[in-house]
Amino acid sequence: MTVEVQPKTKLPQLSSDKQLTFIKLAVLSMAAILSFGTRLFSVLRFESVIHEFDPYFNYRTTRYLTEQGFYNFHNWFDDRAWYPLGRIIGGTIYPGLMVTSATLYNIMQFLNITIDIRNVCVFLAPFFSSLTTIVTYLLTKELKDEGAGLVAAAMIAIVPGYISRSVAGSYDNEGIAIFCMLLTYYFWIKAVNTGTILWATMTALAYFYMVSSWGGYVFLINLIPLHVLALMLLGRFSARVYVAYSTLYCVGTILSMQISFVGFQPVQSSEHMLALGTFGLCQLYAFTQYLREHLSPANFELLFKALLTTLLATLGTALVALTLTGKISPWTGRFYSLLDPSYAKNHIPIIASVSEHQPTSWSSFYFDLQVLVFLFPAGLYFCFSKLTDANIFIILYGVLSIYFAGVMVRLMLVLAPVMCIVSGVAASSLLSLHVKDIEPKVEKHEKKKKHENNLVFRSEVGALFVCVLGCLLISYVFHCTWVTSEAYSSPSIVLSARAHDGARIIFDDFREAYTWLKMNTPEDSKVMSWWDYGYQITAMANRTVIVDNNTWNNTHISRVGQAMASTEDKAYEIMRELDVDYVLVIFGGLVGYSSDDINKFLWMVRIGGSTDRGAHIREADYYTPSGEFRVDADGSQTLLNCLMYKMSYYKFGLVYTEGGRPPGFDRVRGAEIGNKDFNLDVLEEAYTTEHWLVRIYKVKPLPNRGV
Amino acid sequence: MSKIKMLPAMAKLRISFVFLLYILIKCESANVDSISSDIRLKNVDRLVDISSQLVKITSKITLENTGASPVKNFLIAIEESAKNNVAFVGAKDSNNKDLKLVETTVKGYEYVRFWRVELKDAINSGATPLVTVETVFTKALLPYPTAITQQEDQLVKYIGNLYTYSPYYITSMKTSVVLNTKSVETFTKVKPFTQQDGMIQYGPYPNLKPFSEKELLIHYKNNAPFLTVTRVERLIEVSHWGNIAVEEVIEIEHTGAKLKGPFSRYDYQQDHHSGPASVRSYKTLLPAAASDVYYRDTNGNISTSNMKVKKDSVELDLRPRYPLFGGWRTHYTLGYNVPSYEYLYQSGSDYLLKMRIVDHIFDDMQVDEVVTKIILPEGSTSVKVNLPYPVTRLPDSLHFTYLDTKGRPVISFSKKNIVENHIQDFQLRYTFPRLLMLQEPLLVVGFLFALFLCVIVYVRLDFSIHKSEHPHKE
Repeated sequence: MTVEVQPKTKLPQLSSDKQLTFIKLAVLSMAAILSFGTRLFSVLRFESVIHEFDPYFNYRTTRYLTEQGFYNFHNWFDDRAWYPLGRIIGGTIYPGLMVTSATLYNIMQFLNITIDIRNVCVFLAPFFSSLTTIVTYLLTKELKDEGAGLVAAAMIAIVPGYISRSVAGSYDNEGIAIFCMLLTYYFWIKAVNTGTILWATMTALAYFYMVSSWGGYVFLINLIPLHVLALMLLGRFSARVYVAYSTLYCVGTILSMQISFVGFQPVQSSEHMLALGTFGLCQLYAFTQYLREHLSPANFELLFKALLTTLLATLGTALVALTLTGKISPWTGRFYSLLDPSYAKNHIPIIASVSEHQPTSWSSFYFDLQVLVFLFPAGLYFCFSKLTDANIFIILYGVLSIYFAGVMVRLMLVLAPVMCIVSGVAASSLLSLHVKDIEPKVEKHEKKKKHENNLVFRSEVGALFVCVLGCLLISYVFHCTWVTSEAYSSPSIVLSARAHDGARIIFDDFREAYTWLKMNTPEDSKVMSWWDYGYQITAMANRTVIVDNNTWNNTHISRVGQAMASTEDKAYEIMRELDVDYVLVIFGGLVGYSSDDINKFLWMVRIGGSTDRGAHIREADYYTPSGEFRVDADGSQTLLNCLMYKMSYYKFGLVYTEGGRPPGFDRVRGAEIGNKDFNLDVLEEAYTTEHWLVRIYKVKPLPNRGV
Repeated sequence: MSKIKMLPAMAKLRISFVFLLYILIKCESANVDSISSDIRLKNVDRLVDISSQLVKITSKITLENTGASPVKNFLIAIEESAKNNVAFVGAKDSNNKDLKLVETTVKGYEYVRFWRVELKDAINSGATPLVTVETVFTKALLPYPTAITQQEDQLVKYIGNLYTYSPYYITSMKTSVVLNTKSVETFTKVKPFTQQDGMIQYGPYPNLKPFSEKELLIHYKNNAPFLTVTRVERLIEVSHWGNIAVEEVIEIEHTGAKLKGPFSRYDYQQDHHSGPASVRSYKTLLPAAASDVYYRDTNGNISTSNMKVKKDSVELDLRPRYPLFGGWRTHYTLGYNVPSYEYLYQSGSDYLLKMRIVDHIFDDMQVDEVVTKIILPEGSTSVKVNLPYPVTRLPDSLHFTYLDTKGRPVISFSKKNIVENHIQDFQLRYTFPRLLMLQEPLLVVGFLFALFLCVIVYVRLDFSIHKSEHPHKE
């Protein structure tokens, strides 16, 4: 008796409806918390620090925005970069990220929550990935059902493809852009499903946020028109779609043109023409349907044909004319490289030199997505099996992003969410199909009996299947955690290695060098380095750089490449021309840090030789006769005497790096350097960090006359 | 007409009267002493320590009262050439007890700085008590040459007074100069003197007139760390929940001979004698109860430091990101927590905070400027500060942080030219009604309550304008 009564009084009286809500809320909030927590590896292992290169620029601009206010930020002409050209920051960035974190910062300051702006920046990406988890749930709920939404949300919380760009400290546009993108999709699906102007306007607003935060909005503004086109072709075009798209296009385009970096591109550049064309087509389609209702079929046929030919002709000529007169800007290099992966390599060395612009290898699909790769086709099947407007959208999104992710490693980021959504649909459908079988008694009797007759061991097969899928999902969790912890959580500004006895050694040389520059050089010094380090130097050392990661001026970068690739006296002319006071190189030969400047050197040669003034720099001169790139005694003499070589290896010939090796043994290239005994004539060593990772040289002034 | 003419005259009179009054008040408030001819210094044994970056002079003075009446006090004088470098003057009696000092002036000697030492017991006629006077000078050692290369030793010049500068007649005096090095380039040779083992002894010199001066010049090797802390901002945040957070923002510059030419990392790593004048690391002592120590700068954590917990202190071996050569600067933040029961005393709603105005940064430190800020809990009133030496009190302000509504009072003061002898406690009294402790928890509770209330109201009420077409299933 008592045993039966007790549970009733203990458990609160929740209806099944409420229980369901409670479980949904619990799963979703746990997924959101998990997505925040799993991104904190680097903060726990190292510290709350901004990672890599681009985030440092974003951090610096955000700091400027919070200190100086929005209007000063908007009008900011930065004289610390691209000396002597400078850079108009306000007009050349997507300000969404900075405005977002500055707004959060100001709100918290208003509430007396005194969090440092750096911490806001560090934790912004994890925070937004929590929001992404929630939006994914909403989006998948619109596509399929709540169960699929929960699975998708749980999956996106830990998918490595997305984590790679959103760990704590990786303060980059992509961190918030994925949230904006999914939010736009969610509103779009809502708008298509309901056909209300409210949702369409919300889509436009989300689209505006997306435009303000990432250049990848081009993908979005091509995908949605494509969806509309697909709906037209499939005969699913309706008033709902018409209202949604027309509103989105008008409001969204006008809003997006408010971002000064985007400007008039939405109506001029060819990347946006699909959206414009689809907008026109929508109007025509709607108009023809209107006419069809009011005219006889014969008359309509005649009118239709005549209208179609004239329209096509005028549109075609207008397009050609505008392209020829330059009104519609030519397709930019980055866009070409999307369509033709080899385009960049052949034409623009700067684009090709960036590792994240390389085509994706097969293994990295598995590495970044694991079980999702296999669930994705299943999910597509389920989408096809019950085709709706929303499903068509997600199919399009999936297929397109697979193509783009294959072209560029970076776009794996766009693929990861749709992989999660479609896999969520798949996993949820499969599970709900088979979980039902395990408990046959709960179901209605008549239907059950029919099925039970068809299949033997129905519940056992169901249980087995659920087990297998469960194992796969568990392995996914382990894989994701492992990848996050091993591959994506190193700040790359602080390096760590294991000593022989297992103790952790920290190489903090970058910050050592930047702090040295900041504290011990004149305020107006100009620092020359390869463009990779530009953002870090301006942000951490607060010194003027010649080139930085915003690779907008090819000839300027090329000039720096020429200086690095030339002999000392030739380089001195270039450095005098650019007013350089200090030169900074990264050298990993002592500790075995492989992404140093010598390994990047061939790109400097290529980029240096790609302009007219660098025509004398030929890549072939830096190879041995047999075509190898070697730093030892067999290496090409041009290489052994160029500025980069000398700066990297100055006095290195005296150092014993490994036992049993001659002095001057480079641990990255695995060779004893070829040119050991040399002096620098126009430079002097100003500072070298503890592990020789960063070497800074001072450019000597011109010698006095007669000395 | 006449009235109008008279008015300016009256005004003038009034102004001059006010002026006179002002001068009177001023004379009364500023100390003016006269030099007593009764006092003689029977014997002065002076130790000049110039082995670090500071000049520390300890004089053992045997006073003598040649007059008839007892003398309550005597004067210490600092010569004009050194008067801007004095950081600290202190005196102790023969029982090693601190004596009270007051800065004062003497008519006719405006260019000299005087301190009046109040003795515990008056010197009777003919008595000869012993007093120890300690003075510390900063920036009195000048690197010469002013720039050296990485391999060279740092040579500095000390220019001082061979005699004790005193307003009194000195019967006999001796000076010993501690150098801690045998390599001396040149030094003043006034007989009698001896030089041995890093020490130069001058004297005894008999019968010196008041204010006698003779140049003492020593040019010698000094590789001691020449680090000047250009600014320390010390922030003490008191919490009544059991914790006091201390944070120091420190700017340091190597003010020795500047580095000339390149810095060669190879030489610096290969040869440990390379860069003798550079500073690789230094030790900072924190209170023994210090915990959660952090050491970072604007670019993040500085990973090169070691912490050793000792019996009476926590010793931090701080290594700046880079070795400090002459002219190089660094900047960092050091913070830690201490439990409040060691520093905060309470009786009813009255509190007393006893902490150091400035803390140890490294041995023989010289600090150009210290700004100490004390953040008291929100709601503290009637603040009274008690300081061991004069400081510049800065205007009070308010600080806002988590869960604050009207702000926490901030008491701040600054002092220039500080040395280790200034590591002394201040006392700060304030009242804080204990009930205010509940304010912050109640704020959180209230906020959450309001939030849940809103959710409850939102969920229970239907805000839609028209009724839903599909009513809820049952």
